[in-house]
Amino acid sequence: MTQVCKTSKAIGGMGHSMKRKEDGRFLQGKGNYVDDIKLDGMLYMDIVRSPYAYAKIKKIDSEAALKVPGVLAVITGRDLEQYNLHWMPTLMSDTQMVLPTDTVMYQAQEVAAIIATSRYAARDGREAVRVEYEVMKPVIDPFKALDPSAPVLRTDKPGKTDNHIWHWEVGDKARTEAVFASADVVVKEQMHIPRIHVASIETCGCVADYSKVNNHLTMYMTTQAPHAIRTVIALVAGHVGLTEEKVRVISPDIGGGFGGKVPVYPGYVIAIAASFLIGKPVKWIEDRSENLQADSFARDYHITAEMAGTKDGKILATRFKVLADHGYTDASANPSKFPTGMFSIATGSYDYGTTFMEADAIYTNKPPGGVAYRCSFRVTEAVHAIERMTDRYALEIGKDPAQLRFDNFIPKEAFPWHSPTGWIYDSGDYEAGLRKAMDAIDYEGLRKEQTEKRAKGELMGIGISTFTEVVGAGPSKDFDILGIKMFDSAEIRVHPTGKAIARFGTKSQGQGHETTYAQIIAEELGIPAENIQIEEGDTDTAPYGLGTYASRSTPTAGAAAAVAARKLRDKARKIAAYLLEVSEDDLEWEPGKFFVKGAPEKSKTIQELVFAAYTNHPQGMEAGFEATHYYDPPNLTFPSGAYICVVDIDKETGEIKVRRFVAIDDCGNIINPMIVQGQVHGGLTQGIAPAMYESLIYDDDGNILNGTLMDYLVPTAVESPNWETGHTITPSPHHPIGAKGVGESPTVGAPPAIANAIVDALSPYGITHLDIPITPFKVWKALKEKGAI
Amino acid sequence: MTTNLTKSFDVEQPIDLVWATLTNPPQIVDCVPGASLTEQVDADNYKGYVGLKFGPVKAGYDGLVTFVERDEVNKKMSLKGLGLDSKGKGSAEMLMNATLSEVNGQTHVDATMDISITGMLAQFGARLINDVSNQVFDQFVANFKKKLASAGASEVDATADSTTEESTSGIGGFLKKLF
Repeated sequence: MTQVCKTSKAIGGMGHSMKRKEDGRFLQGKGNYVDDIKLDGMLYMDIVRSPYAYAKIKKIDSEAALKVPGVLAVITGRDLEQYNLHWMPTLMSDTQMVLPTDTVMYQAQEVAAIIATSRYAARDGREAVRVEYEVMKPVIDPFKALDPSAPVLRTDKPGKTDNHIWHWEVGDKARTEAVFASADVVVKEQMHIPRIHVASIETCGCVADYSKVNNHLTMYMTTQAPHAIRTVIALVAGHVGLTEEKVRVISPDIGGGFGGKVPVYPGYVIAIAASFLIGKPVKWIEDRSENLQADSFARDYHITAEMAGTKDGKILATRFKVLADHGYTDASANPSKFPTGMFSIATGSYDYGTTFMEADAIYTNKPPGGVAYRCSFRVTEAVHAIERMTDRYALEIGKDPAQLRFDNFIPKEAFPWHSPTGWIYDSGDYEAGLRKAMDAIDYEGLRKEQTEKRAKGELMGIGISTFTEVVGAGPSKDFDILGIKMFDSAEIRVHPTGKAIARFGTKSQGQGHETTYAQIIAEELGIPAENIQIEEGDTDTAPYGLGTYASRSTPTAGAAAAVAARKLRDKARKIAAYLLEVSEDDLEWEPGKFFVKGAPEKSKTIQELVFAAYTNHPQGMEAGFEATHYYDPPNLTFPSGAYICVVDIDKETGEIKVRRFVAIDDCGNIINPMIVQGQVHGGLTQGIAPAMYESLIYDDDGNILNGTLMDYLVPTAVESPNWETGHTITPSPHHPIGAKGVGESPTVGAPPAIANAIVDALSPYGITHLDIPITPFKVWKALKEKGAI
Repeated sequence: MTTNLTKSFDVEQPIDLVWATLTNPPQIVDCVPGASLTEQVDADNYKGYVGLKFGPVKAGYDGLVTFVERDEVNKKMSLKGLGLDSKGKGSAEMLMNATLSEVNGQTHVDATMDISITGMLAQFGARLINDVSNQVFDQFVANFKKKLASAGASEVDATADSTTEESTSGIGGFLKKLF
């Protein structure tokens, strides 16, 4: 299905590649980020961090630090304890230290904060603080954490006798076991989806500005969810007088979030406490290594994956057992009822009867992990598991992995499709996507070439990933965070002259909301997108919402914008009927105006109707032209994609070259094709990152061994291949504008395509699986072990 | 993070002199680049300080050195060092085992060193630690030989000491080895 633009280019509704409205200020260096905020009398905070992964604090000596010129205060856990601010809840209702009073639980944990008159003085003060520790042997390996000999880490929890956090399971265990027991073919792999970091360009930070006179806190903060943060602040600090009406959270321009700016980190709370105690604004900005070592971690799932099938390639069942390394606390950013997020989407794009999935989460002496890094809550882990296993199965039975996928796809007539784990896939056409990707890359030609190369001993691999995402959390019956339902909101105010401002409960971090939301409203109201100002991030002005992450903005707030705009169009129809002296039923809408059926010359433009709403509205009608909508989605949306990757590998060195990468995405109706393409490019680059480069490495003592960007390899333009993108369009049947969300598909879909391509290249030598990141050394080592070189 | 070094070297001196020097803390500490002895706790325990630069990170350790074993008959010794960064930014542990044997009136030394480092240094200097440890060990051997050669002299050539610290101090040396 193709999409046609219903509006003119001048209106710029859906489907137009309108240039991004926000880019003017960004390209001129005029963005307003949190570190650009400077307030009178503002103080600066720096943080002393633990060099040890697990240690008792014997003494914190602030004496020398307090003598550093400009240093005003050193705040420790004992200071916060007096106000009962030394602990805070996590999003998963676990608890986390703000500052420790006795024990540090991971390397780089906050130990004390320095408040000073300049950033330099604060850093000098930090260097002068002396901390005496009693070092203890940490628990780093998650597989050893449940051993009875392992120390119990969370001794702060009464009655806790092990390092187990929770057990979760879904599916039909008995039936799955029966299918596995009788299946012709069973394949199994142990895989690790490594701990990675969002590595956004901007680190985390805030300016906490507490006014004693007004008993009011303004919190400028890098947050993807300003309203939720306001509520959390009120929950944590309400008892000291910071109730919710006394708190205003402002999230200015954000330099990338990717889920890392959803949680509340200790630094934010310490800054609030410091401002509250001192009565002056306090700025805290993480440096690069602090950011990389202390927060914004994702993934870290150890998965035992199994697939059962017939000899000729029909998938019968899957089984996944997860060991989830959460670090010292469960601070994942998941909806409350979903401890493993949406991992249960791991049945994938395939139509088969049964599955069983289970997960156990455990504590280790690592920083809290589990942010949904450009991923709808663990979908990346799920998709990697199913797509890797699909290829593994194809390899086992000697079938072409593309054909095996065609033989198992959920047919497009089967939607809405009920998955064995309870999801209702809204729509999809997986066959069309894969066909398009195969045509684009000349799949048959590549396989021929591969056969020739293999005969010569050369390594070439083709990898496919045909994934289904689950995004847009979510319907209020199942989805909440800390009890707050995961709706989202839009408020549109149209001024008398027909220009508008619209505000949202979401918060762009680079997604282009100022453009795409305007295009949705333009589509529905016919007011040019150019004339619609979009505002987000100020809790005093924007309607309440749960924020931007997990590809939820278009499915929730985008829908809210469409519905609110339709409310206004209904009002415009009433005014038009009044002005044209006809019945509402006699009116017809075309983008930008109502006209009388059969008499198109009798019409009123939307601008005329809005003006009338302020100057000449019908008696009995409420004046003005405003609407608000809180959209509670009836279902999630299920974007999909078909990605094909071709790699060439140097047999002698293991060097991997991504020769081609074709990405065909289906995100339903497209709001702005150019923005979608930009999203896909960025996401694919963040997809090769864990596939080939990124992974945080801890040694047995809990030292992070790649805590700088010199050692933690974020791919740059040099590493990025030429992305070839395209799309199929299968609208969401339940979404007001048929859109599904695209921001995360490429991050989710790319890693297995790359891993599958590399394993495909190496498969003639008996290699069936390699854990990501697949580095040249890993490839070389595997080839060496198999005697291939 | 842990690094293990194994080294053997020959000293053109009689085994008893080598043993006596190697088991005498003030003498041996003199040979370790950047190290100094601050206090003798008892016959087996000594307090001291080691300052080193690992690429971008400068570390100073206040430490305790303990003779775990001094087997004069078999000429086997084991020395344990435990250091805390003087600014509370990490710690280091070292276990050195050395065995002496007599070869043609000279002394052959087999030594192993297990070094384990925690904290800032492990984070930032991980890539350099093996390299720097190797160099420090080589400098120690050079100083040790020199000390024995100058028979009875109590001080090691100060310039040798400072140049060795320089050569371990920068990324430059590390890069030079790479290219």
